[in-house]
Amino acid sequence: MASAPVPRPSYTRAPASENILANFGNVNGSKMNGADRRTSMSSFPTSSARSTSDMSQTSRPSARSPQPPVASDRTSNPSSNKSINTPSTGTGVSSQHSSLSQQDVPVRRYNPNAHPRKKLRSQYPRGASENHVEYILVASFDIDRGPVMEHQYPVAITGDEHMLAELMLPDQAHVRNQDWTMFFLHKDTSPEEEDEERIAKEERRRRRRRKRDREKGIIHESDDEDDEAEDDLGDDDEWDSESTDSEPEGGEGPPLIYVLNLVNTKQDKTVKRGAVVKAMAICTRHPFLHIYKPLLLLALEEYFKSPVPETLSMLYDAVNAMDLSLMPKLSLLERHLLQSSNNKDLFVEKFEQMIQLRIEEDRGGSVSDQPLDASREPARPAGIARAGTKAHLEGQSAYSVPRDTHEFETKVMYKGIPIPIKVPVAIMPETVGDFSLIKLIQTFSEPHAKSPQPFPLHPHLTTNGPNTHPIIVLANALLTQKRVIFLGYNLPSGEVAETVLAACALASGGVLRGFTRHAFPYTDLTKIDDLLKVPGFIAGVTNPTFEHHPEWWDVLCDLPSGRVKISSKIEPAPVTEGLLYFQQQNPNYAGLVSTVGLAGPVAGLGTGAPSHHSSGGTDLTGDVSFMADIQRSIALRHGERVIRAKWRDWVVKFTRVAAAFEESVYGASALHVGSDEYESNIPAGVAGHGYVWSDEASKAKELAGNVMRIEGWRNTRSYYSFIQDVAQLYQVRPLKGLDLHHMHDRLRTQKLTPAQSREIYLAFARYVHTYDEICLLLSVAPESHAGLFYLGLGLFHRDRDVRVKTLEILDRIADHEAGQHWWKSLPRFEQLAYTRIQREAAQLLRTKQEKETHSEGGNELGKTVS
Amino acid sequence: MGGSLSKMMDRIFGSREMRVLMLGLDAAGKTTILYKLRLNKDEVITTIPTVGFNVESVMFNRVKFNVWDVGGQDKIRPLWRHYYSGTQGLIFVVDSADRARIDEARQELHRIINDREMKDSLLLVFANKQDIPGCMNYKEVADALQLQKLKDRVWNVQPSTATNGAGLEDGLKWLSDNVKDTPAPGKK
Repeated sequence: MASAPVPRPSYTRAPASENILANFGNVNGSKMNGADRRTSMSSFPTSSARSTSDMSQTSRPSARSPQPPVASDRTSNPSSNKSINTPSTGTGVSSQHSSLSQQDVPVRRYNPNAHPRKKLRSQYPRGASENHVEYILVASFDIDRGPVMEHQYPVAITGDEHMLAELMLPDQAHVRNQDWTMFFLHKDTSPEEEDEERIAKEERRRRRRRKRDREKGIIHESDDEDDEAEDDLGDDDEWDSESTDSEPEGGEGPPLIYVLNLVNTKQDKTVKRGAVVKAMAICTRHPFLHIYKPLLLLALEEYFKSPVPETLSMLYDAVNAMDLSLMPKLSLLERHLLQSSNNKDLFVEKFEQMIQLRIEEDRGGSVSDQPLDASREPARPAGIARAGTKAHLEGQSAYSVPRDTHEFETKVMYKGIPIPIKVPVAIMPETVGDFSLIKLIQTFSEPHAKSPQPFPLHPHLTTNGPNTHPIIVLANALLTQKRVIFLGYNLPSGEVAETVLAACALASGGVLRGFTRHAFPYTDLTKIDDLLKVPGFIAGVTNPTFEHHPEWWDVLCDLPSGRVKISSKIEPAPVTEGLLYFQQQNPNYAGLVSTVGLAGPVAGLGTGAPSHHSSGGTDLTGDVSFMADIQRSIALRHGERVIRAKWRDWVVKFTRVAAAFEESVYGASALHVGSDEYESNIPAGVAGHGYVWSDEASKAKELAGNVMRIEGWRNTRSYYSFIQDVAQLYQVRPLKGLDLHHMHDRLRTQKLTPAQSREIYLAFARYVHTYDEICLLLSVAPESHAGLFYLGLGLFHRDRDVRVKTLEILDRIADHEAGQHWWKSLPRFEQLAYTRIQREAAQLLRTKQEKETHSEGGNELGKTVS
Repeated sequence: MGGSLSKMMDRIFGSREMRVLMLGLDAAGKTTILYKLRLNKDEVITTIPTVGFNVESVMFNRVKFNVWDVGGQDKIRPLWRHYYSGTQGLIFVVDSADRARIDEARQELHRIINDREMKDSLLLVFANKQDIPGCMNYKEVADALQLQKLKDRVWNVQPSTATNGAGLEDGLKWLSDNVKDTPAPGKK
């Protein structure tokens, strides 16, 4: 496979990082088994010592984007287009009409594309070896010694116990009765262990491939030897296969362990110095760690009464008994659709199927061998009802589908009390815990709206000049990997931690990675030396001392005042080749690039360029209007999901603008994987890719506004991992080479001639068929962008064949498991047009059939004659 | 920026700001001193061990004291240095009744004031817990801390009883009388 030759930055471990590891105990070497096996943890990433200079030494992708093999022409795929396969007789009627014959059939036909072909699986299958919760910890503040660890269950985490205890007892825990914190642990794996893991993974992948090939009838010579091994492949492997097939994991090392920690301070006259401060923490690999809050509250209370390890084991057993096995696993595209939709029924079919499978299992026991064929028509069994509905409460069924498919409802039995738990079904990368983007945005918007304080200029950060919106400054800081601190003096540390997590999600948009891995939702002065070794950290603190050390951070976000500050000691942005090339190529727009605050003079064009006029009135990046739109949405109470979807758009747009910038300035970009060969096969009218501008001038202006932050991004962790993700996603992406996003954006934003739009509509109808392809189309036409409205406009196209083809694609969408919901929210006038065209088509078909009967009769007559 | 106007007002009305760092071994009485100064003088202050730090502003003698009180357990003492920069006055609190640990207190004090960032700082020692019978008086504390050995340092030992407030204001008065009349450099 011509996989992308993605340059991985060489993360050389500087001597300093070994010190960190040394602090955290013996990591490598001795391997223990069973209960003795201890995991080594550190609160800092192993590669933390890599400096930016390490990264800049790595070579950039020099050639044009990698070009994986081309998919075969869709229309030759037997299952893809019925119209081609339907024999059309030489009556002069074009093939698409014959495909309409299906419209006539009154019974709901079986549609293989309405449901995914993949087997439906659980996200957390029964009997899986992985626990929900890996460790329970208890620490306390000793009046003589400071923070100490009291108990760890089931085994002790090796490494620096003291470090853990300090994290569990946040600054100023003594001034409030209760506080939450969150922090992450990085599992230190030795290179040997990593190698072993990688080899094992490759082996599994190879077997799967072989298995698939065999199913297709391809025989390998060495098959015999492997047969036994293959038979041994249990369910575990199956579960694994989907995750490796469908989406990249970011490739940044082993998953993090997320720690949710509750600290209580109890005044107690009977003890020395009058108070007891204790903290209990849950360590899990699930990013939805907030679900454990009610349990920690109960368990810590219990621990104050009986401070023994049994209290920890009771909690451990309770949370690990939580059953999530009926929660279906969604593909990346499906998760994306669910995340950006407010529809509470989206993918409810999957929950029903999970339950149905379970009922069959419970009944027969042997059915489990038979994989659930997701593509069969889902019939809702009588026993399944919506949770909370009358039918559910009255019925005797043990199972129910969730009220809202965004959340899976389950429970944990703790000391005989059922604690209801809601687990998010679709989690995007870099989404950890329960935070609010709205709260983050409001915190730093309101003081700015009341009395804006001008920023000192920094080309990476102040992309709209001194009055750049603070949230944009923050987003730019995260994109360009600045050191960001959130300071919440006198606030609960839980609130600070949530803000850090919100900021990670803001910059990621579920698209970019590398933020949570370098985030320290709560940290304090004890970790400052290690923190400063991490380039581009995102940290939450409550100690105002951090503000007095501008050499520690680049951007400081003060929560109580809602102000964002740029450090007086921030490193100036370097002059880069990209900037110089851009200015040479676009002399007319060179002056628009904000270069104040660059490390050196910009050769040729001079620093005297009137950069302030660029940053002043005009909104080159579009961020001013974007923030205004966000504020409006918040004011109209559109809700968290809508705001997150809008930010996702912002991040996606940034990456697409960056791709366009790289292609225009460097002549190539690894931010977009396409295929020239494929593109040459498709009609020229739909061959384009990437972000869509209305004209060249607006493109040049937008690029000018973005040059500096794109150049600042082009050397960061999130940039490199995005390139990896793009290349990896391309492997699993449907419709390679065709940029549906680009096509839909053209319909949405450009003024097209009927001939141009015709090509786009026809291409949609021609290429979008399978379940995944339709998912992809839906994902570029989200509710927030008016859904299918622009596609539906094809029903009013000048050319009749375009109207009919649009009808076809809409039909396919209407049959689709997710598409049906998009179809239902099609505007009324488009639905009417749909019905009208459908009627016309049916009419036409009848006449045609009559004609065919005649001509066929004629033929037969002819045959008999001869 | 926004602060320049208020600084001008400060100059007109003669009010000043002073950044004060209060350190000392655990259970010396730092937090009690802080809140006795901050809150109503007649109030009974009960404190519990400080996890991390406390910081409060205290107005006295037209000086706004920004007082940082940092936890004193030995394991967290290495963190003290992060609070040094911009400090104009160090208040070192000693439990005058704790003869067993006065040597430990001396070591910590000398470690602090030998730091480069603390070279211009005033030193006020509260010989605290004077109400406990048999405690060291302020002269004994000064000797035990070997303050006479200090060169180029403005220092003072003030006997105090934090629980009833005795001596605390005298200490602040000494600080405000001796602080150099320069605008607070700590604020950025």
